[in-house]
Amino acid sequence: MSSKPKIKELLVESACEHSTDKKGSCNAPKPGATTGGCALDGAQIALFPFADAAHLVHGPMSCVGGAWETRLTPTSWSGRDLTQTGFATDINTNDVVFGGEKKLAAAIDHIIAQYAPEAVFVYSTCVTALTGDDLDAACKQGTERHGIPCVPVHAPGFVGAKNLGSRIAGEAVLRHLIGTKEPEESTPFDINLIGEHNNTGELWRYRHLLEELGIRVLSTFSGDGRISEIRTAHRAKLNVIVCAKSLVSMTRKMQERYGIPWISCSFYGMTDTSNSILAIAEALDDADLIERTRRLVAREEARLEEKLIPYREIFSGKKAVLNTGGNKSWSIASALQDLGIEVVATSVRKSTEEDKAKARKYLGENAVLMTEPASQQAKVIDETGAHLLLAGGRSLYTAIKKRIAFTDVNQEKKKSYGGYDGLLVLAEDLKNSLQNPVFELVDRKAPWQK
Amino acid sequence: MAEVRRKSGKPLQVNPHKLSQPMGATLAFLGVDRCMPLMHGAQGCASFTKVMFTRHFCEPIALQTTAVTDVTAVLDGGDYSILESIKTIREKVTPELIGVHTTGLTETKGDDIRGVAGKIDVPVVYVGTADFKGGLESGWTLTGQALIDQLTARCDRIDAQKMVLVPHVSMQPIEVEKIRELIEAFGFKVVAVPDLSSSLDNHLGEKQASLSSGGVTVTELEQLADAAFIVTLGASVKGVGATLQTKNPAIRHRHFNHVSGLIGTDALVAWLLEVSGRDALPAAVERWRKRLQDAMLDSHFSIGQTRFLLVAEPDHLAAMAACLREVGGKVTLAVATVDSPILADIEADQVIVGDLEDAENMSDAYDMIIGNFHTEALAHRLGKTAVMRGFPNYEEIGNALKNDVLYEGGAYFLFEIANAAERMRQEQVHREREQIRLQRIADSNLDSRPLPNHA
Repeated sequence: MSSKPKIKELLVESACEHSTDKKGSCNAPKPGATTGGCALDGAQIALFPFADAAHLVHGPMSCVGGAWETRLTPTSWSGRDLTQTGFATDINTNDVVFGGEKKLAAAIDHIIAQYAPEAVFVYSTCVTALTGDDLDAACKQGTERHGIPCVPVHAPGFVGAKNLGSRIAGEAVLRHLIGTKEPEESTPFDINLIGEHNNTGELWRYRHLLEELGIRVLSTFSGDGRISEIRTAHRAKLNVIVCAKSLVSMTRKMQERYGIPWISCSFYGMTDTSNSILAIAEALDDADLIERTRRLVAREEARLEEKLIPYREIFSGKKAVLNTGGNKSWSIASALQDLGIEVVATSVRKSTEEDKAKARKYLGENAVLMTEPASQQAKVIDETGAHLLLAGGRSLYTAIKKRIAFTDVNQEKKKSYGGYDGLLVLAEDLKNSLQNPVFELVDRKAPWQK
Repeated sequence: MAEVRRKSGKPLQVNPHKLSQPMGATLAFLGVDRCMPLMHGAQGCASFTKVMFTRHFCEPIALQTTAVTDVTAVLDGGDYSILESIKTIREKVTPELIGVHTTGLTETKGDDIRGVAGKIDVPVVYVGTADFKGGLESGWTLTGQALIDQLTARCDRIDAQKMVLVPHVSMQPIEVEKIRELIEAFGFKVVAVPDLSSSLDNHLGEKQASLSSGGVTVTELEQLADAAFIVTLGASVKGVGATLQTKNPAIRHRHFNHVSGLIGTDALVAWLLEVSGRDALPAAVERWRKRLQDAMLDSHFSIGQTRFLLVAEPDHLAAMAACLREVGGKVTLAVATVDSPILADIEADQVIVGDLEDAENMSDAYDMIIGNFHTEALAHRLGKTAVMRGFPNYEEIGNALKNDVLYEGGAYFLFEIANAAERMRQEQVHREREQIRLQRIADSNLDSRPLPNHA
């Protein structure tokens, strides 16, 4: 039987709140008005952080040429970091006409011989999906030849957007890896972190706190992840989804199959970090653990508060407009509020219904939830008298025109704002933005201009 | 000249530096003023491309996608998705040109782009750029040819002062501008096709770019065929000369493989002297020639003892190798993205079409690396030094204003390379000395132990 996921099923996720509403958020892309990556992009983002696995894209160079080694997802894996290694079959006309299966098999052999990965993820692309190369057979034979898992990932770009690709990646791991190995030992506090990619090292901002409490991260999907660990993920006591609604299907299925409950968490800002760690302890349902967690959270907050004192004065009375996507519409807002900054508007253009509700809850009744931020944000800045715009690079011009400070918040950022210590990094960056004269100066009229 | 290996013999690319044809096409369309490049493929093809150029140039990039889905991939011959895209684009902006370029997906399913283009009532140029063929250079060139073929009107007049300049894809915006200025200094009017020098040159624009801002205008493209000359720079764009000549056979075509280094620049300058009928160089050009001569002498000691790995598009390899070779640089290995007739002429010991895995396996052959940002990680693994050139460069800012061409750029290029090579060697010396020092300390500690008592 084919391991191709049923796309329709993935699009209608019963655990998603918006699924009761027929409109939904998972619409087909509109020709001529679409931005954002495809399913392949999403699948790569979801799986690439497994640094001990090779990631082989079966397709032409558009799909990988500019796309590898672009995400800072650090790993503590002691072997070669395959996250930062690009593999592509680079198919040519010959492969399109006569099929690329032989080439694919040889590519798998080459990777296993040269790089000794713990697994090989093989991604189909639009062209090879259309020409009908049998990815499942190639992977099955690869697994049999080498004795290490070769996992087909059926996420050609034309099936949908990044979000769907991420689900398909979850589906592939669920089908081919999870439950294929038993852990050497079990503890009552074993958890999986689902959707934590360790972007810019965010996982490392809070993992040590969990460990201090005796909570063991049995596996991650997939930040600083290990194939050998994700294979044992079915033995966890709790799944923790970190800022990734797209992986709800995965955790719901794990609940059905293995009885693992799940909660959703965010580690942006002090309040959310504390709430999340407490929520994990409460979900693990151990009175002593909960009590110890309360003490740890109090300790960390007190430590952080002291370090934030010098920033409080600078941020007092400051207003910010936030233009970013998905769950960041509320998670970064929460971090800003922890710093004493009033968030007067946020973008909900790419947010799910649940994200929108959360954004409203965090920001309050008076805040603007922007559905068309590109055209709205300039007006919102005028009306609210905002001092700061946090957005992707494209919005820089808006900030310059309005002569207010700008901070880039896209995911390719090189710094982590996560956890308790990340808030200090964010505070320092915002301080530097607010105090930088460049936004006032750069668009000034030259002396000879009237 | 060089030993050339044109086929990798491997079933895959590991750590690829090759980029795709549609990416080259996008970039070429971005060199046309008020253009909306429209990539005909799944949304990811455009997204990957947009992200890459946005990060390389640190500029917003105008690019749209026909967003082909699994349904339209099967049921649509391109009509629906292309026409629907154009309708949507025009609801928001009024482009002077829409640049439709295909991808592997839409070429595999066999869309009739020419047929669809006939149904569009806005200026549109279409080009087939399957990404399972060619690469960045061919995508750029095919688009340059399509622009001329589909827009330029036939003409039987000649404007003796008009010159068309066709740069290869690896030339950064400031390099195109410097070459244009040189030609203008000889009294010519210059139209560059495509022209990134006024669109992606890191200038502060009026607003965020929903269309390309700057570049050659559609009117200029339409009226291109009265030029007296077309100058093509780089083997990959040589064919554009003949394309323009179909519009007016009286146009004279002059080709240079590159305009880097002393000899390369001399060739262009000598020709400009000849065709302009002047007998003296503009003073600034003469001065920069002397500065390059001096830079060659100042840099030869460092570069002359360095063995280089170059990783780039074929035309870019030819230019950089020539420049380094003039001061004794040993280009022991050049790794090209794709095959090209120019490979045999590259001044290197060995030229291969390959990837960074090939380069890594041959690491004994070189000391220093020049290539795109991926070579930084390679250099790090090998304990060598890398200087960033070529697409993409996510590690550094200011890429659009890096100038390596002509006398002036050559001087800066040599200085940068010589300084980097010198720094690398100094670090090596420091490491060796530190080892010796530690060894000596260890030895002297041994010496100071009490001697065993030989009774």
